[in-house]
Formats: sequence, C-alpha cells, structure tokens
Amino acid sequence: MDKSNRPFFSNLKCRECGKLYEKKAIHVCEYDFGPLEAAYDYDAIRTSISRAAIESRPQTMWRYRELLPIDGEPTVGAQVGFTPLVKADRLAAKLGIKSLYIKNDTVNYPTLSFKDRVVSVALSRACELGFKVVACASTGNLANSVAANAAAAGLKSYVLIPADLEQGKVLGSLVYGTNVIGIHGPYDQVNRLCSEIAGKYGWGFVNVNLRPYYAEGSKTMGFEICEQLGWRIPRHTVAPMASGSLLTKIHKAYNEFVKVGIVEDAKFSVHGAQATGCAPIAHAMQRGTDIVKPVPKPDTIAKSLAIGTPADGYYAIHAMRQTGGGAEDVTDDEIVDGIKLLAEHAGIFAETAGGVTVACAKKLIASGKIPRDEEAVLCITGHGLKTQEAIAGKCGELRLIKPSLRDFEEQIYNPDMAATA
Amino acid sequence: MNMTDKHRLWLMFPTKLITRPIIWELGKKFEVITNIRQCSVNEEIGLVSLELEGDRDEVKRSIAWLEEQGVKVEPVEINTIEG
Ligand SMILES: Cc1ncc(COP(=O)(O)O)c(C=O)c1O
Ligand SMILES: [Zn+2]
Repeated sequence: MDKSNRPFFSNLKCRECGKLYEKKAIHVCEYDFGPLEAAYDYDAIRTSISRAAIESRPQTMWRYRELLPIDGEPTVGAQVGFTPLVKADRLAAKLGIKSLYIKNDTVNYPTLSFKDRVVSVALSRACELGFKVVACASTGNLANSVAANAAAAGLKSYVLIPADLEQGKVLGSLVYGTNVIGIHGPYDQVNRLCSEIAGKYGWGFVNVNLRPYYAEGSKTMGFEICEQLGWRIPRHTVAPMASGSLLTKIHKAYNEFVKVGIVEDAKFSVHGAQATGCAPIAHAMQRGTDIVKPVPKPDTIAKSLAIGTPADGYYAIHAMRQTGGGAEDVTDDEIVDGIKLLAEHAGIFAETAGGVTVACAKKLIASGKIPRDEEAVLCITGHGLKTQEAIAGKCGELRLIKPSLRDFEEQIYNPDMAATA
Repeated sequence: MNMTDKHRLWLMFPTKLITRPIIWELGKKFEVITNIRQCSVNEEIGLVSLELEGDRDEVKRSIAWLEEQGVKVEPVEINTIEG
C-alpha cells in the first residue's frame, strides 16, 4: 500500500462520458449506460512503483498490485499468474517469422486458463465488498475458475453454462462442488436471464456487477509479457477474442506501463483472433467499421470464444485500429491445424482458443500484416486437456502391438529403414 | 399500477426501421415511461440506450411489441456470458 495513504485505485469511471463513481459493485453509468472501468491515480503510482520493487516480490500476477483494483492484499488466488514466456524458435521458423514468443497461460494456476487472472481480482474484490455468494455465466473456462477459486476461498458459487459444453469443462466445474446449471436456449435469452439474476439476488456476479474489477485482471498478462521480455513492449501481440476484453486490457496494460514509467514508449500493435463460426469483431474490423453485428448462432469448435454479442467488441476494434493491428478469423480445420502446429513445434498443448490464435497469427504473418522480420508474442490462453473432443481422431492413432521385439520392428521401427524414417 | 420496474435496455434498429418513430409509438401504445440516455444512428444501424419504467407485465408486453416490430432488445448487460 502507498505510504501517503493516497489510494492508487481511486474510482470507477464511465468509458463514455468520464463520470466518476464510487468503487462499488456497479458496472454501468447512470447517465448513458456506458461501461464503468477502474481508474487509478497514475501520478501516485509513478512515484511509488519501480522495476526493482516489482522484481523483489513473489512471482505471481499480484506483483503489479498497484495497477489492480482492490484496496487491501489479495485474498483469493494470491498464487495466480507469472506463467512462462517461451521463445518458440521452431514455431517461428515454421510460420516464417524472425522472432516468436508464446505466453503460456495453459499452465496458469489453478485451472489452466488465463481466466484465473480475472477471477482472482473479481473474487478478491467480492470479498472486500462483503459478498458471500458469487456467480458467473460462462462458456467454460471462467466457470472452472470461479468454481475452483470460490471453493478455496469458502464462497458459495453458481455457474451457468450453455447446455452443450465439452465434458472436460463441465467436470472441471462440478468437481469443486459448485452449483452448475446448464441452460438450453439461445444466447440472448441466456443473457437476459443472467442480467435478471444478477439484478435480483444481490450476488457478486463476476462478469456483470463485478465486471469493472474482473476485467482488470487480464492486464497482468500484458504486464508479465513486458517484464519477461526484459521490461519492454513487444512489437506485435496476438490475442484471441471472445468478448474482446483480454485484447483491450493488454492494450491498456502496455499503455499503463509507459504511463507509470516502467517501460519506454515504443511502437506496438495488437492483433485479434477469432473463429470464422463466430467472428463478429474480426468481421467488423475487416469491413472497416466499429459496428459489431451480433452472431445469433455461433457455430465453431472454439466454444470458449463463441460469444455472439461481444461486450468489448467496440473497444477491441479501437485498440487494434489505433495500434495498426489486424484481425483474422479461421475455420474449424485451421483451428485443429493450429493446435497441432503449436504442439509439434513448441511442445504446448492448447485448447481450441490457442489453435485460433496460432492459425490467425499464421495468416497475419502470411499477409504481411505482421512483417516477417519482426517479433510477435502469441497469447495462448487455455489448456488442451479441457477440449479433447476437438482433436480426437485428428492427430494420429494409437498403434497396438504384442510385447515382442519382432512386432516392434515389423510394425513400428525398422532399423534398416531408420535412415530414411 | 402495482410493482413498477426500471429496465435499462439497448435497442438496435435495423436500417428499415431507423426512420420510424417507434419509441413515440411505444409510449402511446403502452403505459410505460421512456427515457432515452444515448443514441447513435448511421446508414446501417440505429442504437438507442433506453430506460423503460412501468408495471412489470406492461414492460414485458412493450418489449415483446418492440421485438415484433423488428427491433433487437438487449439488457444493458449485453453480454453476460463469458469465455
Ligand atoms: C481460453 C480463452 N481464451 C480467450 C478468451 C477470450 O477472452 P475475452 O472474453 O476477454 O475476449 C476466453 C474466454 O472468453 C477463453 O476462455
Ligand atoms: Zn457515462
């Protein structure tokens, strides 16, 4: 905490009109219904924060706590974050780019996706605001993370999910003893139900009334990338988009680090990745507009990204345009190829969202939007064990033999042919 | 009127409805108070943020009517489902 007792995190602020609000469980402006966002006292932070101070702290996302929207110390998910940034030379060669890094949030703690970052902030804040029950509506990863972190913190939780999710994601919530509710029906009706529940019961709804806090957690992915690159902003960053929040917040993180004097100002571009079967943001980018047309029936194996009415689509488009970034979308087959490319060339098993990011990066490099002689960081945000259905039967088969050397040499490895194998 | 409710909504008007005074019609047809907070219109789409106040059932009926006319009606929490 700041010794002068001037809080670093000062207010919530309307993104449309700039009106300031108290730091409560609210998320829209009373005047224009614009979204509220956390606001900080950057001057105070600038005089207090330093690279050395950050480096002296535990290797978790909370080492950047001056730029996170809670008042005290984190009480939920204090160990989240600081996942590896991997230099992926073999994948770089394959995609034809000089320098490539993978920000590997497939191994984020505890539920193997970047959502642990946002949930750690949301639930820590929920505890500060006195909530005893927390809830979310999610296509899977967020549900897993709310369930796990709520269990650890002793909060009661409800998670609402679409009725047709992958087994891994359903079990990955149920195991924590949370209330898992599968909802049949079109997404816009599910949305309406959730906003009614959030309004009615006074629960901490992670992505509704706690959204201004929740969303800030994604910034830590951007902070870590800068620190792990030796305190600088990468030239290109590619992020998957569902609501568009992660991309928007990585952009904010880079700008904040410049603002508080932690990194030097440098030209950077953020690029967005979506699946063709649900690409409202990428398609708006490609059409050259900032009007995001809802996708009423998303149809893609990248279920974690299947958000037809992206809440932050407009802001994501502006972040990409303003930084000279681009957006791509890829088919289900390209997503599977992306998962395999990453696994075979970097040894990282990502979920479908990771396949989307790799496949879109490949297109951005091929089209010259990301020049071949520059560097890029790919945000790989969730683990492949959660979406095994997507690649089952598409990456080779188990070969069965008897326990005999003869069988082995006949069917698997023939030393005489090995030179050519 | 019994229980009154305030609903915060986003209305999306397709091109063909942009020139029709739908919110005025709504106020005439139903016992609801309409309060516009923000709007933007271009050649493709019209967006209006609207507070709708009135008896719960009357509000429900007026939303259903808007949808029948071809207006897309969303709570301000446009997207409560996340990844
Ligand atoms: C694995 C994964 N990656 C990326 C995203 C996209 O996040 P956002 O909604 O912030 O765009 C999600 C969920 O939304 C996700 O589950
Ligand atoms: Zn406002």
